[in-house]
Amino acid sequence: MAELDPSEYTIAELGPEIKEIEDVATLEEVLEAERNTKDREGAKTLLESRIEKFSEDDDADVGDLDLSEMSVADLGNALQDIDEMETLESLLEREAEEQNRDSATRLIESRIDSVAGSGESDIEQTQQSPEEKHPELDHPTADKGHVRALENGTYRDMWVYCETQSGALLDVSKEMLGKARRLMDEYNENYDANERVVAVVIGNDVAGLAEETIGYGADVAVYYEDDRLDRFRHTPYTEIFADMARSGGDWRDYDEPRYTLFPATNNGRDLSAQVQAELDSGLASDCSGLYIEESVISNPVKTGRPGENKTFERVLHMKRPDFSGFEYSTILCLDNPAREFHPQGASVIPGSFELPAFDGDREGQLVEHELALDPEWLQVEVIAYDRLDTGVDLSDHDVVVALGRGIGDDPTHGMELGVELADTFEDAGVGVSRGIVTGSYDFAGHIEGYTHEERQIGETGQVVAPKLYIAAGISGAIQHKVGMDESETIIAVNTDPDARIRDFSDYFIEGDLFEVLPQLTAALKAGELDLKAVADGGVGADDGGDTDE
Amino acid sequence: MEVILMSETYEHYEAVVVGAGPGGAATAAKLADEGIETLVLERGVDAGAKNVSGGLLYAEQSAPYTIDDLFPDIRAAATERPITEYYMQNVAGEKVKEYDLTSLHEHDTAWSDAVLRRRMDSWLAERVHERTRETGGGLLTGIHANGLLRENGEIVGVTCDEIDPIRADLIVAADGVNSELARDAGLMDWDEPEEWFQGVKATVDMPAVDDRFGIEPDEGVAHLFSGDLFEGVRGGGFLYTNTDSLSIGAVFHLDSLVEERAEPHELLNALLTHPLLARWLGEEYTEVEYAAKLVPDSKKVAHTSPHKDRLVLVGDAAGQMQAQGPIIKGMNHAVSAGALAAEAFATAKRRNNPESAGKRYERKLKESGVMKKLRPKRYERLRPIGEREKTTDVVDRLLTSPIGRVGLKAMDSIGLVERLYSSPFMSMSIPDTRTPYVTLPTVIAEELGAPVRDRSTVEPPSLEERIGELTYDTDIGNPHIRLRDSSVEASGTAVSACPVSATDFGGGCYREETITTNGDTKHVVSLDTQPCIECGTCAVVADTDWEHPGGGKGVEFTRG
Ligand SMILES: Cc1cc2nc3c(=O)[nH]c(=O)nc-3n(C[C@H](O)[C@H](O)[C@H](O)COP(=O)(O)OP(=O)(O)OC[C@H]3O[C@@H](n4cnc5c(N)ncnc54)[C@H](O)[C@@H]3O)c2cc1C
Ligand SMILES: Cc1cc2nc3c(=O)[nH]c(=O)nc-3n(C[C@H](O)[C@H](O)[C@H](O)COP(=O)(O)OP(=O)(O)OC[C@H]3O[C@@H](n4cnc5c(N)ncnc54)[C@H](O)[C@@H]3O)c2cc1C
Ligand code: SF4
Repeated sequence: MAELDPSEYTIAELGPEIKEIEDVATLEEVLEAERNTKDREGAKTLLESRIEKFSEDDDADVGDLDLSEMSVADLGNALQDIDEMETLESLLEREAEEQNRDSATRLIESRIDSVAGSGESDIEQTQQSPEEKHPELDHPTADKGHVRALENGTYRDMWVYCETQSGALLDVSKEMLGKARRLMDEYNENYDANERVVAVVIGNDVAGLAEETIGYGADVAVYYEDDRLDRFRHTPYTEIFADMARSGGDWRDYDEPRYTLFPATNNGRDLSAQVQAELDSGLASDCSGLYIEESVISNPVKTGRPGENKTFERVLHMKRPDFSGFEYSTILCLDNPAREFHPQGASVIPGSFELPAFDGDREGQLVEHELALDPEWLQVEVIAYDRLDTGVDLSDHDVVVALGRGIGDDPTHGMELGVELADTFEDAGVGVSRGIVTGSYDFAGHIEGYTHEERQIGETGQVVAPKLYIAAGISGAIQHKVGMDESETIIAVNTDPDARIRDFSDYFIEGDLFEVLPQLTAALKAGELDLKAVADGGVGADDGGDTDE
Repeated sequence: MEVILMSETYEHYEAVVVGAGPGGAATAAKLADEGIETLVLERGVDAGAKNVSGGLLYAEQSAPYTIDDLFPDIRAAATERPITEYYMQNVAGEKVKEYDLTSLHEHDTAWSDAVLRRRMDSWLAERVHERTRETGGGLLTGIHANGLLRENGEIVGVTCDEIDPIRADLIVAADGVNSELARDAGLMDWDEPEEWFQGVKATVDMPAVDDRFGIEPDEGVAHLFSGDLFEGVRGGGFLYTNTDSLSIGAVFHLDSLVEERAEPHELLNALLTHPLLARWLGEEYTEVEYAAKLVPDSKKVAHTSPHKDRLVLVGDAAGQMQAQGPIIKGMNHAVSAGALAAEAFATAKRRNNPESAGKRYERKLKESGVMKKLRPKRYERLRPIGEREKTTDVVDRLLTSPIGRVGLKAMDSIGLVERLYSSPFMSMSIPDTRTPYVTLPTVIAEELGAPVRDRSTVEPPSLEERIGELTYDTDIGNPHIRLRDSSVEASGTAVSACPVSATDFGGGCYREETITTNGDTKHVVSLDTQPCIECGTCAVVADTDWEHPGGGKGVEFTRG
C-alpha cells in the first residue's frame, strides 16, 4: 500500500492532502510517519482528529475484527452490534479456520440464530392500507396490482389467442392449439376434471377461422368480428380480449381463464403484455416449453409464512430459453396470500410445438362475443401498411448474371448492361456481390432495385447453382464463391487476369465488362453464340481455356 | 434448472458485471468470494472470442492483487509460457542492435507469462461461472449490454440486446476499450486519436518453439522491435513465444497512423518479413489468425474518478492500460482494479451504504498505488517539454548529428544505453514523440548495429486471405456501425487505419469510391461491416454511430 509521506507537506498542505483518506489504517500509517520524521504537533493533531472521525465508522466493519486478538468475551460483546447474516457467517468461517474455539463458535452461532429469528416477524406482513404504506404522499393510491385482482376467483380452461393474417390462421396459432389440446387432455385425466381449450379469434370476418380452430383442437371458439378490426390494433384488441375473459356467458361458469397462451409474434407480444396486465396477472414471455404440475414453494412472499412450504396445484410451468439459450428458466405464476395471479399466461415462440393435423370431424362450440366497440378505442388509425417482400429468389433460374464492383466507373450503366444480358435468356436472374450492396454508388431509380441485399449472392446472401453463372467485375472472394461455385458452368469477365475468380471459372474472359457484356448480348441476340450449348459443355468457346469473347 | 418466480419488476442482482475479460473476471470472482450475488454478461459466444492481447500477463510484486491471487491455478491451466528472456531489437534497414532488457522486464515482476486470450479468458469464465453460481448468479455469454438503465436520471442497471434490462446495486463496466457503458455514462469519449494506440497481431503456428529459440518448455522469450521498421509511424513491435505458436504484432500511436495514412497490416508485414525474424520463422510461415484492437493510453485517459451513481469502470473501459516504454500492461491493471472495485463494494455493502462503492473504489485505486502507475506524475511533468515538436526536432537532430552519434558510441561502450533503456524510471516517462520510438533506436542500430545475414522467405497472407480465414457470424441486415458522414474528409482516414481495409481493396470495411452524378465527381467512403474485427479504430477516426455487434454476432477469434 502506497502511503503518503507527510514530511513532504506543510501543515497547511497536509489538510487537503488527507481529505480523501478515510481508511483508518492508512491514516495511522501517515501519523506514524509524521512521528518518525518531523513530529509536528499541528500535523499530528490534524491526523488524530481525522482518525477519530473515521474510527467510529470503522468499528462497525467487523470484516476487520481480528479474531485471534479477541477473547471470547470480547467477541461476545462485539457480536451484539452485528446483525448482518453474511458478516456473521464469514466470522464463523474465519473462526473455524483460525482458532476453532468451541465457545467462540457457539457464540457466533447463537447470534446467527437470534438474527435469523428476528427476521421472521419482519416478513410476516399484514396488508397495509395505502395511507399506512406511503405516509409521505398526499393522496396515496393502492398499488395498481390490488385494484382489480379477484378474491377467491374461480378459474378454468386454457385460452389460446389465435392470431390471423390475410384471412388465415398463423401456424403458431395452430401449434398452440395442438399443445393446449395435449395439455388439457392430460390435465383432465390427472385432476379428474373437464376443462376445455378455448380459442379466441378477433378480427374482420373471422367466424370461419374460429370454426377452423376446432379442427385443430379447440373445444370452444370465441370470436369477435367487426370490419373496423381488419388490422391489429392494440387498444380494441386488448379491450375485447379482456372483456371476453371477464364476462360470463351461458357456455361457462367461471370468473376468468385459468391459463392463457399468446403467440410470441410482434402483435402477440404486444397484446399479451397488455391483456395480462389488464387482468392483473403476469406474463412469461417467449416460452418454448409448457407443462402442468404441482409445485412446492418455500418463498415466504408466496407462502405467507417464512420457513413453511406450500404446495401449489395445477401450476403451468412455462419454460423459456434463458439469456444465453443454453439454459432454461421455468417461470411460475403463483397466487400470493393476499393477491391472486390468474390467468397464468405465456407467450409462445413460433415453431416450439408441432403443427397438429386438421381434423374436420372434431366437434366444438362456436360463441360470438357481444360487445359494443367504444370509438375511443379506435382513435389510433392504420392509414397505410405494407407487406414486406418475401424477397427475391435467385435459386430457381437457369442462368444468373451477377455484377460486382467492376461496374464502379459507371455503376448505373454497368448494371444496365447486366440486366440487358439477362434479358436475352429465357429464364435468367440478376444478382450482385456484397461489394455492390454496400457500395455508395448512386444508382438511377430504374436500376436501383437490382442492387439491394436481397440479390446478394454468397455466404451471407443467397446460394445459387444455376446451369450458367456469369460473373462480371467480381473478384471472387471466398465469401462470394461459396454462394455460386456449385453452378454448372461459370463464366467470369474481369480486367485483372490474376483475379481469384479465375481459379474456379470454366471460362475466363479478360476484358472490360463495359465492352464485353454488350458484345455478349449482341452475339446472343444474333444467335451467333449459344451460351446454352456452352453451359451444356458443347460448342461455343475454345476448349475450356480462356477466350477473348 | 432454475425456477424464477414472476415478479413485477426487472430482474435484480446485487452486482452485474459487463465483460468477461481479465478485468470482469477478477471483479466477479472477488465479488463472489465476498458472497455477493453476481451476474456476468459477456457478448462473445465464449469469453475470449472477442479479445486480443499481445500477450504478456504480468504479476507485479507491488500490485494489490495479481491474477493468481484470485485464480490460483491459472498458470498451470491457462497460460502459455513464462517469459524468462526479454530483448530489445533496434532496427535500421538491415542493421540491428540487440539489448538485453530482462532486468527491466523483471523489475517489480513476480512472474510474467505469455497468454492467448481465447484460451485464457474461456478458462477464467468457467471458474467465474462456478463461483458466481454459488452466490445465486452466473455468467452468460452471447449477451450484448447496449446501455445503462436509468431511473429518475440515475444509473440503476443495464439494458441488453437479447434480454430484459437488469437492475443491480453495483454495475461494473469491464467491457474493455470502446466501452459503450462508459460512453453512455459520459465518463469516456472516443474523439482524440492521440489518446489511443492500435495493436495489430498475427498468431503464427510454430510447433518447434523450443528449438528455434533454444529454450526449455518452461522458458520463454520476448523480443521488442523499434527503429525504422514502420515507415516513420510511432510504435513498436513484439514477438512472444507461446507453447507452440508465436504472437507477433505491433502497437502504434493512433494519431501517428492517421497522420501517415499508414496501413497497419502493411506495417505488420514489414515486421514479419524483416530478415531479422527469418532465423525464428524459418522457411514455413503459417499464420493462424490476424487480429487487432484499440488500446487506451492510461497516461492520457485513465479516469481518475471512474464511477458514477452505481456504475464503476474497470480495466480498459476506464483507460487503465499502461504503456511503460516497450512494456504493455493492461491485463494486470484490469485485474487489480477489478478486485479493488469488488472490495470497495463489499465494504460499502457491509456498512449499509452500497452507493459509496464508487468513491471507495476511487480511493483504493489511489491508495494502492495503481493510479500512480497509470498516470505517473513524472510523465505529466516531462510531457510539456518532451512532446513539443521543436524540442523533438532539436533532440532528433542532436542524436542524428555526428556529435550525438559519437556520444552514443561512448555511452554504449560503458553499457550506458542498455542501462538507460532498462530503467523503469525512464521508461515510465518516455514522451510520445518519434525520438524514443524511431530516431533513437534507428541511430543506435545505424551506429552500433550489425547487419542481419538471413533472408526472409515469409509471404504474409493478403488482407483478403486474412479476412477469409477468420470466422464470422454476421448479423445480417443489422450493421453495428453506421457512417454518419461518408465524405472523405470526415471518414476517409478509416480506409487506411482500419486494419481490415486498404486503399484499392474492395473487400474491406471502408472503401473509397468515386461517384459521378450529372458530371460531378465526388469522393466518398462506403462501409460494409461484415469483415469488421471490432477493433474500435473507426469509432475514433471516422464519423460513425459505433456499437459492438449483438451478442454472439460478428467476428470470433480462436487465439486472441
Ligand atoms: C495488440 C495488443 C497487445 C497487447 N499487449 C499486452 C500485453 O502484452 N500485456 C498486457 O497486460 N496487456 C496488453 N494489451 C492490453 C490488454 O489486452 C488490455 O488492457 C486488457 O485486455 C484489458 O482487459 P479488460 O478486462 O479491461 O478488457 P477486455 O479484455 O477487452 O475485456 C472486455 C470484455 O467485455 C466484453 N464486452 C465488451 N463490450 C460488451 C458489451 N457491451 N456487453 C457485453 N460484453 C461486452 C468483451 O467481449 C470482452 O470479453 C495489449 C492489447 C493489444 C490490442
Ligand atoms: C463475413 C463476410 C461475409 C461476406 N459475405 C459475402 C456474400 O455473401 N457475398 C459477397 O459477394 N461477398 C461477401 N463478402 C464480401 C467479400 O469478401 C468481398 O468483399 C466481395 O465479394 C467483393 O465484391 P466484388 O467482387 O464485387 O468487389 P472487388 O473485390 O472490389 O472486385 C472487383 C473486381 O472487378 C474487377 N474489375 C474492375 N473494373 C472492371 C471492369 N471495368 N470490367 C471487368 N472487371 C473489372 C477487378 O479486377 C476486381 O476483380 C463477405 C465478407 C465477409 C467478411
Ligand atoms: S470497421 Fe472499424 S471497428 Fe471494424 S475493423 Fe475496421 S476500424 Fe476496426
